[in-house]
Amino acid sequence: MIRHHPDDALLLGLASATLARGPAVVVAAHAERCPRCRERLRQLDAVGGALLEAAEPMVLAPGALARTLARVDAIEPAAEDAGAASPTTAQARFRAGLPVGMAWPRCLSDSVPDGWRWLGPGMRWSRLTLRADPAANVFLLRIAAGKNLPTHTHAGIELTQVLYGVFDDGRKRLDAGDFDETDATIRHRPVVQPGGECICLASVEGRVVFDGLVARALGSLVGM
Amino acid sequence: MGIARQAAPQEATVNGTPRLTVVTPQGDPGPVPADEDMAALVRAVATHADRQAFAVLFKHFAPRVASYLRRGGMPAASAEDLAQEAMAVLWRKSASYDPARGGVATWIFTIARNLRIDRHRRDGASGWSFVDFENDERPDHPDPAASPEERLDERQREARVRTALRALSAEQVRVLQLSYFSDSPHSEIARELGIPLGTVKSRIRRALITLRRLIDAPTP
Repeated sequence: MIRHHPDDALLLGLASATLARGPAVVVAAHAERCPRCRERLRQLDAVGGALLEAAEPMVLAPGALARTLARVDAIEPAAEDAGAASPTTAQARFRAGLPVGMAWPRCLSDSVPDGWRWLGPGMRWSRLTLRADPAANVFLLRIAAGKNLPTHTHAGIELTQVLYGVFDDGRKRLDAGDFDETDATIRHRPVVQPGGECICLASVEGRVVFDGLVARALGSLVGM
Repeated sequence: MGIARQAAPQEATVNGTPRLTVVTPQGDPGPVPADEDMAALVRAVATHADRQAFAVLFKHFAPRVASYLRRGGMPAASAEDLAQEAMAVLWRKSASYDPARGGVATWIFTIARNLRIDRHRRDGASGWSFVDFENDERPDHPDPAASPEERLDERQREARVRTALRALSAEQVRVLQLSYFSDSPHSEIARELGIPLGTVKSRIRRALITLRRLIDAPTP
């Protein structure tokens, strides 16, 4: 049961394509497994359709239709899906190391994971490079059962989608499928439940700021 | 939808940028092309490469798609080029158009939007969302979270959305239009509404809350 969803402004960002790729994949990963948000996205697509219908038509140059038909004729139908995304070998190897039963979000099908890096005892993270936007600040966090991230706040907006497991940061409990949005006003200490590890997909706008000297050293060590 | 499509000609463009006219709250329903007719035209393109049907779709949608892209900050020539590309995608993908998923205008909007995002990756552009909707098409795996009221059929959805847009205030419609169509929605909303940039987010939020309420609980 999914209880925490992206707000309408984020869904609008996805529907209107104004959201940057980093946050967009996190919201998309949520919507993939959330029927409620998929319906909301359909409605927002329909809003786009209605607004398109209402747009003042632009006068096109003469011959636009003929040129479009020429374009259609020039296309080899077989060449169309040649570029369909197939997982890279790096991704396939990485996915093989994930817990059984953890679905890989389809919106990450063309992303390349760097591989797990040590963040602290029981804590690992991996950067994800998105083909559509290699500079996007997107990563996976993998925290072992019973472990916690140090108390930290955020320099910018951070979006998190729980892909596997459960964590609780004192504000709320987030299960697999749940979505969370945090910013500089929120200081939290995410604790993973003792039952099993937790894997989250996250995108950050700024750099994540950990409290405390050790944590700060740790944070700068991994470039977070 | 009640749209002042034939506004005074001198208002049609501002600095060469097509203007979007605002949906008037109590406007007449207006001659919206019946969605079934549009869907039939797409089917004709899909089943027997009907160029006549395509021409009708082109005449209606291409100028609007160009306007949408132009409004998003694209130079006129590129907007027109990409509008042609969007219509070419419509031709090529016509067989995959699923009326159960949304109206033709909605489908074309998603094609144009995706082209706008992936201008450099045209071949991959198709339409709909880059969110995977496959889970919806698996009735053998019903999601317990999907209560009936969370899943509208296409006709209900499109009707509710259009009714809701008519019920919004002109300002709220404008906020939505700029959110969808503008290259820098926040600063444009601030400028047009004469409000500080910091309050734009809450205006958008309020428009979305009203929209959601109207869609979820349509007044008869």
